[in-house]
Amino acid sequence: MTAIKQKDLILYSGLIILGLVAPFLFSAFKVQLTYLCVLIVLAMTWNLQGGEMGYNSFGNILFYGLGMYLTASVQVGMFFPLAEWTESGGEKTFVHTTAQYFQGIGVGLLVAAIVPTIVAGAIGYAILGLRGHYFAICTLGLGIAAGEIAGGIEIIGAGQGFTTPPFPAEIVDPEARGQFFYFLSFLVLVLAFVFVKYIYGSRFRLILNAIRDNEDKAEAMGIQTMKYKIVGWMCSAFFCGLAGGIMGGLIGYIDSTDVAFDGREMGVFMVLMAILGGKGTLWGPIIGATLFHFFKEGLWTFILGWQYVALGVLIVVIVVYFPEGLMGWLREKYPERFGEVIDEKDRKAQVELK
Amino acid sequence: MNKLVKLFTIFISAISLTLASISSSFAKVEGEYIVLGSAISLTGKYSSNGVHTQNGYNMAVERINKMGGVNVGGKSYKFEIIYYDDESNPKRAAQLAERLIKQDGVHYMLGPYSSGLTKAIAPVTEKYKIPMVEANGASRSLFTKGYKYLFAVLSPANQYLEVAIDLAVEKNGGKPVRIAQAFEQDAFSQDVRLGILDAAKRTGSEIIIDDKLPKELNDMAATLAKVKATKPDVLVVSGHTKGALTAIRQIAEMKVDVPMLAMTHCDAAKLSKQHGKKSEYALCASQWHKNLSYKDKFFGSGKKYDKDFKKEFGYAPPYQSAESSAALLVFKDAFERANSFDRDKVRDALKTTEMQTFYGNIKFGPGGQNTAKPMILFQVRCKGDVCENKVVAPTKWASDKFYHPIPKWSERS
Repeated sequence: MTAIKQKDLILYSGLIILGLVAPFLFSAFKVQLTYLCVLIVLAMTWNLQGGEMGYNSFGNILFYGLGMYLTASVQVGMFFPLAEWTESGGEKTFVHTTAQYFQGIGVGLLVAAIVPTIVAGAIGYAILGLRGHYFAICTLGLGIAAGEIAGGIEIIGAGQGFTTPPFPAEIVDPEARGQFFYFLSFLVLVLAFVFVKYIYGSRFRLILNAIRDNEDKAEAMGIQTMKYKIVGWMCSAFFCGLAGGIMGGLIGYIDSTDVAFDGREMGVFMVLMAILGGKGTLWGPIIGATLFHFFKEGLWTFILGWQYVALGVLIVVIVVYFPEGLMGWLREKYPERFGEVIDEKDRKAQVELK
Repeated sequence: MNKLVKLFTIFISAISLTLASISSSFAKVEGEYIVLGSAISLTGKYSSNGVHTQNGYNMAVERINKMGGVNVGGKSYKFEIIYYDDESNPKRAAQLAERLIKQDGVHYMLGPYSSGLTKAIAPVTEKYKIPMVEANGASRSLFTKGYKYLFAVLSPANQYLEVAIDLAVEKNGGKPVRIAQAFEQDAFSQDVRLGILDAAKRTGSEIIIDDKLPKELNDMAATLAKVKATKPDVLVVSGHTKGALTAIRQIAEMKVDVPMLAMTHCDAAKLSKQHGKKSEYALCASQWHKNLSYKDKFFGSGKKYDKDFKKEFGYAPPYQSAESSAALLVFKDAFERANSFDRDKVRDALKTTEMQTFYGNIKFGPGGQNTAKPMILFQVRCKGDVCENKVVAPTKWASDKFYHPIPKWSERS
């Protein structure tokens, strides 16, 4: 890994400082900022397979939902009988003390990161032999199936949904909850960024690219593509699980198909954001997610009832005018800023030859 | 690379500026307006019921504003509602509640449509101590969580069809009955199911089919095939509007004979209009019916509300609209009694609400549910090709006799 350049250092420290002061500057927007962090994490990690490995997965929502249910279940189950908490009548109410709440969510998030990673390994072993559309459709099915199955499991609330533990009442400040979830998600975002950045400087990324560009050739070169594909997916699952866990706590209510295994929204959004920004780039998904979130939050309320039509138009515009995403478009326009040198003389010479 | 950094700085500062400029929050009371906030399902699976809810709110806002508004501290104020579309998604609803409170500065909320969405919003309003009067979240678990700022003008979901089981037992000569039931996988319908389980236990009845239906259901043929084979005494179905429509459509298609059919959401689904004679004899739980004799000075009687609503929106009001209108009457009453815009004073006033509206009596129990109003049952009855909902239980309100058992399809014309 190359040493970080000075300019980059300024950029990164600037962004981190911005991230740290943002919840105080824009106090009213804390929850939106938290969503933004989570969206960026999802887009960035989706980009690992979708962009770098060329495996378009609609199944990452599986890990997100799994993380959500696991965090909530652990947080409750550590201190109280889970079945009684989620019992549909909900006659009994248990109250977490402050310490229990934070211990619970800590352990919960840990489980939410580890279990989906293992699940990704197991499922990946089974289905990563599929390629192209077959893989995409298969993963689409995974998300839908998970939602329906979760909707039938009584201990996690089934169709009733799962109310996650409320933020401890002993903390009186109404801003505290927002701040806690913001910083949690920001931390995960920083972790994910550092991790993805590290991958971008490693041989691992080149292998993923090789799989994307020509898997058979990569195999012929002696790369055990299966192994790398699985590891790549497990990396995504790790962060998706964490993101899901945070979102569960933030939303406060988990519904099997609308909140947790929400393939129709989150599952599609993460793909869309990565494509909007430019897949296969480090900054693309980040810019894409940011733009998307602003578009969604800013514009949607003005076109009440028509927002999905607007979203459809946006998708068409992206696909028609920016097929490579914003980063790809910029790269084509200003290649020199991306470190690509064009030899004008050589280019002209070729044109004249023709 | 340098320019890229610059580009970024510009991008980020632009965002910061926009955010900073719009974060100057609005006031809860702007000039002569009292601003209420609500996330409503205008798109997604609850969109039709979301619109019923919104129409109910709008109708009441217009009426109250026209008839002198809300008098607080000797001054007259008007209601105004900020709506967002929650897309029938709890995640979005929670996010929008946060947005209404934090960014739009709303201090009083109206509920969304459905129990699931109300469950997602209640923790948010509770956290910021925002009084919410909701009219469409009936799930029992909403009222056992100890929420202090949640008030529901409706009866809890488990009471919806309990009476139907009692009625079936009564018609069976007091002997236990065999029940077949199918419920959508959502918070509301699952609560209705709990009510049936309680009633079955109480009457010693046996549940022979207990199916779960997927969300957004449009097929329940498997359940109906079982019903055909096992011949239960009662079939209970609950799954919002789509559940009611699907059940009637397929029962008629498959010619399923069952002596008693109990459902929810018949009037929201406009069953008697959409399916006409096919829906005859269906027994439906309802929070409200226009024939009930409750009164208030804003809407007059239920019949008058029905007429005005039809004139305004072109269709007969389902109970979802009526209860939503009632929510605003409750708010108005509470503001005037509190004589203040202090949230805690308004909350205390809400807590001691005791009033009659065209929709029914309203008095809140310790959990926030309305304890003063019973559920009613009506039955779809047809005269020629015109079908109507007739109240059959409880006897105090009944305008018609309950028809039992449902004639076999082979005997129906």
